[in-house]
Amino acid sequence: MTWLWVILSVVSGTLGDVFSARGMSMRGEIVDFRLGGLARVLHYIVTHRLVMLGIGCNALSFGSFLAVLSLAPLSFAVPATALNFILKTLLAKWYLREDVSWHRWAGVALVAAGILMISF
Amino acid sequence: MAATVTRRRVLPRVKNRIFLLLVIFSNTFGNCLLAMGMQRMPDFLGTPFSRYLLFLITNPWMLSGTALLALWLFSQLSMFTWADLSYVLPVTASGYMVTALLSKFVLDEHISALRWAGIVVITFGSMLVSQTPMRTKAEWRERDR
Repeated sequence: MTWLWVILSVVSGTLGDVFSARGMSMRGEIVDFRLGGLARVLHYIVTHRLVMLGIGCNALSFGSFLAVLSLAPLSFAVPATALNFILKTLLAKWYLREDVSWHRWAGVALVAAGILMISF
Repeated sequence: MAATVTRRRVLPRVKNRIFLLLVIFSNTFGNCLLAMGMQRMPDFLGTPFSRYLLFLITNPWMLSGTALLALWLFSQLSMFTWADLSYVLPVTASGYMVTALLSKFVLDEHISALRWAGIVVITFGSMLVSQTPMRTKAEWRERDR
């Protein structure tokens, strides 16, 4: 049962960030940081289906992560977030078509390894 | 003309740095405030739910923590309009270092040597990714030309 919550947390967390990033990149770069400009960004966020789907997936991920925490120790739950980094980078390359260089992969691998280390 | 070109190159980098700091600090301080707020909450099982909810929405630590996490979400989503997902996530992971410092010096928690080593490894990883270009999508490269 615990593993099901872990899988749900990892998959929904990964999809959440990927959908959010895709939805926001469709808008175009933010250049107006006056109050009106920021209000337009906020309006875009709450009315864009892909961005809201991403936020919903992240909320589901957070809820299932709390469920994992209630069933297993933190040292079991935290390594799942390391896996998140790897999956998000893979989807960034394949789905978002980002150019992930070996330099960037090495950085992501170090971040994931560091997260594994802090969970012990 | 030269000033315009320089401005076009420098401004995105300055904006990116400001937002990186915003994402890192709003997330870490938001989580820290929530942790401090939870320490001041009554026992969940021993308190009627409506009373617990009242404590929750009137607890200034929880309210300010939630406001900072809303700011974190907004600033991270904003970054996705000009930077790659595979850039933003590892670079903002350097927030683990800030969280560790806050845990140690504000929440007075014990951090083991292995955990400090892990935090240093994460910070190296973040620094490595921060050296790569922040936008690599083909559609963005076309727009930048």
